[in-house]
Amino acid sequence: MSSHAAAGSIDHHHDSSTSTGIPNKKLLWWAFLASDCMFFGTLISTHLVYRLNPPPGNAEPTKVFNIELTSFSTFILLMSSLLMALAVNAIQRGQVKSMRTMLLGTMFFGCIFLGGQVFEFSHFVHVKKMTLSNSLFGSTFYTLTGTHGTHVAIGVLLLGLMYVRSFKPTNSHGTAGDLGLTLIHVLAVCTAMGLSFISLVPGFLDMLENGSGFGSFLSSHTLTLVGIAAAGAVLGWFAKTSGAPDFDQRNAIDVEAIGLYWHFVDIVWIVIFTAVYLIEYL
Amino acid sequence: MSAPVEHASASGHAEPSKLHIYVQIAMLLGVITGVEIVLIYLPLAHWIIFTALATLSTVKFMFVIFYFMHLRWDKVFCTILFFIGLILGGFTMWALLHLFTAAKPLSAAALEMARIAIG
Amino acid sequence: MAEALAQSHYTDKAHAAGPKDITLLPRPTAKTGLISWLTTVDHKKIGMMYGSFAICFFLIGGLEALMIRTQLIVPNNRFIGAQFYNQLFTMHGTTMIFLAVMPLNAAFFNLLIPIQIGARDVAFPRLNAFSLWAWVVGAILLNIGWLSYVNHAADVAFGGAPGVGWFGYAPLTSKIFTPKLSTDLWAMGLQVLGLSSIVASLNFIVTIINMRAPGLTMMRLPVFCWMALVTSFLLVLALPAIAIALVEVLFDRNFGTNFFEVSGGGQPILWQHLFWVFGHPEVYILILPPMGYVSEILPTFSRKPLFGYPIIVFSGAAIGFIGFGVWSHHMFTTGLGNVATAAFSVATMAIAVPTGVKIFNWIGTLWGGQIVTRTPMMFALGFIWMFMLGGFSGIMHSAAPADAQQQDSYFVIAHFHYVLIGGATFALLAAIHYWFPKFFGRLVPEFWGKLSFWIIFVGFNVTFFPMHFLGLNGMPRRTWTYDANMGWNEGNFIATCGAYLLGIGIFTYFAVLIYTYFKGEKCGNDPWDARTLEWSIPSPPPEYNFKAIPTVHARDAYWYEKNHSDEIAKEKTEHIKAESSHGGIHMPDSSWYPFLACIGLFIGTYNFIQLKSPVVFNGSTLTASHLPFAIAGGIILFTCCYLWSLEGPGGYHIHIDDEGNETVTRSH
Repeated sequence: MSSHAAAGSIDHHHDSSTSTGIPNKKLLWWAFLASDCMFFGTLISTHLVYRLNPPPGNAEPTKVFNIELTSFSTFILLMSSLLMALAVNAIQRGQVKSMRTMLLGTMFFGCIFLGGQVFEFSHFVHVKKMTLSNSLFGSTFYTLTGTHGTHVAIGVLLLGLMYVRSFKPTNSHGTAGDLGLTLIHVLAVCTAMGLSFISLVPGFLDMLENGSGFGSFLSSHTLTLVGIAAAGAVLGWFAKTSGAPDFDQRNAIDVEAIGLYWHFVDIVWIVIFTAVYLIEYL
Repeated sequence: MSAPVEHASASGHAEPSKLHIYVQIAMLLGVITGVEIVLIYLPLAHWIIFTALATLSTVKFMFVIFYFMHLRWDKVFCTILFFIGLILGGFTMWALLHLFTAAKPLSAAALEMARIAIG
Repeated sequence: MAEALAQSHYTDKAHAAGPKDITLLPRPTAKTGLISWLTTVDHKKIGMMYGSFAICFFLIGGLEALMIRTQLIVPNNRFIGAQFYNQLFTMHGTTMIFLAVMPLNAAFFNLLIPIQIGARDVAFPRLNAFSLWAWVVGAILLNIGWLSYVNHAADVAFGGAPGVGWFGYAPLTSKIFTPKLSTDLWAMGLQVLGLSSIVASLNFIVTIINMRAPGLTMMRLPVFCWMALVTSFLLVLALPAIAIALVEVLFDRNFGTNFFEVSGGGQPILWQHLFWVFGHPEVYILILPPMGYVSEILPTFSRKPLFGYPIIVFSGAAIGFIGFGVWSHHMFTTGLGNVATAAFSVATMAIAVPTGVKIFNWIGTLWGGQIVTRTPMMFALGFIWMFMLGGFSGIMHSAAPADAQQQDSYFVIAHFHYVLIGGATFALLAAIHYWFPKFFGRLVPEFWGKLSFWIIFVGFNVTFFPMHFLGLNGMPRRTWTYDANMGWNEGNFIATCGAYLLGIGIFTYFAVLIYTYFKGEKCGNDPWDARTLEWSIPSPPPEYNFKAIPTVHARDAYWYEKNHSDEIAKEKTEHIKAESSHGGIHMPDSSWYPFLACIGLFIGTYNFIQLKSPVVFNGSTLTASHLPFAIAGGIILFTCCYLWSLEGPGGYHIHIDDEGNETVTRSH
């Protein structure tokens, strides 16, 4: 959805059509994030309650965790937050191309984070033999971090949709053809991102873990690489051939809204990293 | 209320870039994370490390919400709105944790002694 | 402010020449007919749908109650079986709370909030429609279990309607004790209802805070809007707790987790905590809007302003927020420990203070006024008295030692029916009578209205007053039958007779309303000589609510308008001129996507809870699991939401000329 300037350029901090001056969408998102605080608060409480009352035979976190990987993931998510802030910064100054680069960067780092989680989960299940159902720690850990991971995945999806939206041409006629092109663009973004975090990144981490060599990594992931390359080519084609987009400073509120969601997902991880991972080492 | 103030600017840059602030904060967050990771391996008393971790996480949290999420420059009502949820969530968590630690579970040694006693 | 409003992005003409938004389905333009209702974003139509659905479920819930009371009329009765009885009390509670009172409140939020704040619609009209249809999905999921009694395949799969109590305590909800789908449907149904309420509440928070007419400061808001705001905050902050709890129970049942599984280290008491962290704010969610209705009705029929407006508002907010700190008073008998028990006991007593303050302020409103005993006033007066009685039994519960005897007995049933029927329902019945003329343009006949009030009042008290004694004499809740020598025979018999009388009263009330809809005496915009803005517009209101967005000068904005008519008339002409110079009255467009997205939501959720079982149709297995259908539902939901975002805000303009003729212009 786009908003229109009354005259001149936009004041991104004040919307005079509302009673408080806060844009409706911003108010909505902050109210939603307050609600999400209770949501994650309850999940984290469940986890911590059961860490304070562990049953016999429970999994031992320090024996299961790979703190190096998790620390790396934490840095990645923090950097993705930076890129998100830069994306919002760019579009508030009308720099669409810069915004697109930052959005892609945010998504890319988000996928690295997700890939790390996919690797972590499959490692815990297959190597450390800790599943959702065979231990209480498994139940709470996978549900909590899985819910967070789902939030990240939804965030990457939203960012991808916003990325595609920033290409909508000014001469669009709203036809089924335009819709078709949009959907192809979306599919390409989803393919690229999906293949990265489901297959490429976990595979890469796997290679590092068991030192099987870059060659074997490439050969066991050829299909993934081909898929990503193809999707990348499609994205590149759209980037090169699109004309002036119907997207400028007036859309900054929407990018800012997604940014709020993305940063929130990051701050939840800040809490989870400390309360679920680091605390266990004391 | 008056119409929005016009920022006359030939290049269309109404908003000064916050790039430097953001990058500096990101670096700071990275450093704090590094400190947290090192901290857990230090031979200090548990309560010190615990408090330090909690404080450092809170600092990171506040930087992200006030700078990256822009609360510092937005209308204060957004901050109030978010903090209502945050404080309520925190209070609920605190209450639940206290409700579930009312009775300390027996240590392994005490359990063993109880088993022996019951025979 | 009017200038700025008129100049907002909604009315900017530049949109006319711009690129088209991408649409697969066109924006519906019909104003009548089925499609216009399915695709509407008009808050008034949405409110009426919430209201009609809610009233249907209210009557169903009442039927469930009558069956319960019939089973209990005499000792050792065998009117219905024990399993069916469990389903009846589960569904009666779930229906009355989630499918009757909450959507009736939602109906009033939708109908009243925009016109009380001088707006043309809510902040996000399509999101509003989405909450309605999501609610319908939740209502279907909760009730689909009843098909078990008419279809054998349904019975095999569902095992009847949910029968785990409206609060679904673990471990009864585990797969071992309730293996069939009824419990999964209950959990998923509540989950979807929660989604609907959260989305609606976010919308109302933004609407009330951001879309007030010029001059309408927060402290000039009608008390009903304040109560709606606090209720919306409670909803968005309390529902996440039960959302997580429901996720945990669904995971326990379907993915083998151990959240409440003792053999895996889980603790069923955690369910109780998480449920009541939601459950207690929920009861304030149920009662705060009724307090709002009463705060509007009493001044009108006392012919004086509300006494102590700021303190009533503040007390409402205080009740809401202290309400987050008392949940374990539902768990006094679970062995919380002395400190916790004492803390929750004191906090519960503390809530009585702001509640009492409100009651004194309502009495203060009546004091010295010219009381007009029309039907809404009778219900409002009944509310004050009956809610107080419910409050007294409530404060008795707050003393933990006393609660040790009262917990799980009929004393609790007496308490919450006094606050929920004597309180919430009376206020809702008052509100329906009071605002019926506004939305339907007809007055309910006074004699029949008052008659239905008295039958309801007597029937209600005859039903529930004896339950105080039954409870203190040891009769437990949720028991299917009782022996003849317990000393409970008279109490139950009287209560059942009262229940039938109450049923007759409710039937009379709604029959009268239906009659009024078709044949009632027509009325103008302000039949009660009331005080708030909704009475300044025609009955029923036009699509655009206000010809001119009002400027508010004082609390009780319409009262000021009535006493300063020249000033107001001049203002209105100016506002109309300003708005028409910026394109006219801007209205949001209808849309298919909220409705279609909810079809996807239904398919997705209904199949998600049956993930592990194969799809069998007419005896043959189609697929090994329901997963493909669940995914299909999810894809429909996602696609519709995406197309919704691509569709853009849309909108059209209405121009009203001097003769009152309307022309519609579209730039899309």
